[in-house]
Amino acid sequence: MNGNTGKIITVQLTSGDLVIAELPEEYYQKYIGGSGLAARYFWEHADFDADPLSPEAMLIFMNGPFSGLKLSGASRNCIAGRSPLTGIWGDSSCGGYFAPELRYAGYDGIVIAGRAEKPSLIFIEDERVSIVDAAEYWGKGIEEVNRSLKEKHGKDYRTVLIGPAGEAGVKYANIINEGHHAFGRTGFGAVMGSKNLKGIVIHASKKEMKLADPKRYEELRKELNSKIKEALASTVLHENGTAANLEGGVYNGDVPIKNWTSNFWEEMADALTGGTLTDTYLTRTAACAYCGVACKRVVEVKEGPFAIPEGPGPEYETIVSFGSLLGSMDLAACCKAGRVCNDIGIDTITAGGTIAWAMEAWERGDLTEEDTDGVSLDWGDMATVIDVVLPKIARREGKLGTLLSEGSRSAADAIGKNSRAYTVQSKGLEAPMHDPRGGGHGLALTYAMSARGACHVADPMLFMEMGACFYPEIGFEYELEPMTDEYKPETAVISIQIGALENSACFCQFADREVTIPEWVELFNTVAGYGWDQDDMMRAGRRVFYLKRLLNYRLGCTAQDDDLTPRMLEPARDGEPEGVEINFSGMKEKFYQLMQMDPEKGIPVKTVLEEFDMGDEAKVIW
Amino acid sequence: MEFWKDEKEPISAFVKLFENSMKDEELMGGLKKVNQLIWFDYTQDGPNCSFWVDCRGGDVKVGAGKPDGDPDLTMSLSADDAHRSWSNKLNPVMAITRKKIKVKGSATGLLKLAPKLKKVAVIYENTLKEMGMEDKILK
Repeated sequence: MNGNTGKIITVQLTSGDLVIAELPEEYYQKYIGGSGLAARYFWEHADFDADPLSPEAMLIFMNGPFSGLKLSGASRNCIAGRSPLTGIWGDSSCGGYFAPELRYAGYDGIVIAGRAEKPSLIFIEDERVSIVDAAEYWGKGIEEVNRSLKEKHGKDYRTVLIGPAGEAGVKYANIINEGHHAFGRTGFGAVMGSKNLKGIVIHASKKEMKLADPKRYEELRKELNSKIKEALASTVLHENGTAANLEGGVYNGDVPIKNWTSNFWEEMADALTGGTLTDTYLTRTAACAYCGVACKRVVEVKEGPFAIPEGPGPEYETIVSFGSLLGSMDLAACCKAGRVCNDIGIDTITAGGTIAWAMEAWERGDLTEEDTDGVSLDWGDMATVIDVVLPKIARREGKLGTLLSEGSRSAADAIGKNSRAYTVQSKGLEAPMHDPRGGGHGLALTYAMSARGACHVADPMLFMEMGACFYPEIGFEYELEPMTDEYKPETAVISIQIGALENSACFCQFADREVTIPEWVELFNTVAGYGWDQDDMMRAGRRVFYLKRLLNYRLGCTAQDDDLTPRMLEPARDGEPEGVEINFSGMKEKFYQLMQMDPEKGIPVKTVLEEFDMGDEAKVIW
Repeated sequence: MEFWKDEKEPISAFVKLFENSMKDEELMGGLKKVNQLIWFDYTQDGPNCSFWVDCRGGDVKVGAGKPDGDPDLTMSLSADDAHRSWSNKLNPVMAITRKKIKVKGSATGLLKLAPKLKKVAVIYENTLKEMGMEDKILK
């Protein structure tokens, strides 16, 4: 097999069995890698009745075909399985340094099931895999454990770890690579915790890769790395990070404020934007493996209530989640909140979204002191959020910690009072920090169609609506007006295919914006030797989208779950999108038609599955 | 060129646009924050079809032609697309993606000005009227 290794490690923690399994090449050709390949494995091997936090639940780490190939943006890894937060299919992508190391060790993925008797680590050194005791690390923060492991084994030993939140079963606990790159979404840190698995340590001593056409790949790699690094978007990301255009987003009405009750806050725009972070707290930049963009921030807050020593800084999502979303424009607080979340191991988006919902519930009187253990949840009170609320969530402590550790949808259902109406989530996953009412109505559609729930990186609709994509070879060469539904279903059909490719190839959306469709095809062919044409590649993307729909159907989802909450669809109250309504139902109906999906079941009809070589899957469902 | 009779005409309009924008306190403040020497290069429409804006050192100056020093940022496009852009009828992100606008240097400062393009468009329309160029106003 070229490109991929064809091998995965299967770990049964209950019995301690470790088996190296081989995956058929057909799976790679049909489902690519990353979240697509993980979905195929889950389809075949998962117990669909298993609670996500039970020993029977399966946790899958999966690389894409370009991992370790020294291509900017292609060092991401995917984690997947059934999400404890949403109860349906979940996947989450992480940059950093884990994916290349796994590939160099000789594996495409790791599948973990069972429950270890005591706290454990999976230790991988080249082909050798073992399960080792981790009692000394249990209960400790990720920063400390990461440092200890590197001191013990060496800095080139790469780590993926959970924090106290994962151990405690917080439904949106994350998994962190190298102390700060996050598998953020859908709560797989809790799944690891439920398995008594503190983390994985991995080291590979060789970097041998077998490619279909190494000479041409090397030429292509150099061309792409140069193009990606020199792109305007890359230089902006490098200089001011992923929050570089936060200020522009505020003026468009894209940046959520106070639990999505406002779309404009002028003073906040300058206070939280990436340029301000650069001017105030940035000490240097950092990068994922082999990436020339280097958009990561390293920051230090020297003084004040939110002082933190030099270390990883916040991304855009964290800045807004712990900034404007909570009614704060204190950038130092964002830096500290991000650092705390990384250490305790929780997703900053769901944490911010859940706390924002709680603050509104507090303001409305739907949450009282009795529910919050006497803690006041006032907009903008970041000291309380950081010093009181986050630690309570991490330990599931008291009524407040327990309530908020479940995520906003479950918390709203627990207190009732119609408070689900002002949650901001789809399928139970809190929306990221882009409000479709200002960011673009197509985003409302793709949030709802995303298999894992509201997600801006399931596909590039956000970029397509702002004009940052150009794919004339597949029909996307027209201009979109963000705040209308015009051409959005048609665009979503293209977007979900591209998104499936990105997330299956584990390619960063910031870097791969520069990659044209012919270059994508050539990448697959020079690396894996599939002999694909453009149509083959796009069909694989659509196949992955369809497969995740089928998985969700088997996990209880239907068309009615492809929805957004009333808060997300109500006309904006101010800012650029004030008063504009989103034609969500119209876009959804049209998208369903274009994708040939059953309007009740929410899955592709049998004939289209057969058309996409998914006859076996069709037999299970239809 | 679709909108201009010669290479001097757009430059006179654009320089005047910046002179008028500098009278607006908010825009002047935004320009100062850019803190760069920017060359707007429309030389594809004529060798003298360009102008510069110098936002360095807490002051803002504007002039026709190529600046004396090396620009921190060069934006190359056609004078027609520049007209569309100042009229807020051209999506700059899309224009850059499709190579209608080529950017050399750091554009992070300009990002600060992007949200003000609507206001700039109003001033541009007034500038065109002031210069007797109402016929060029894009609706």
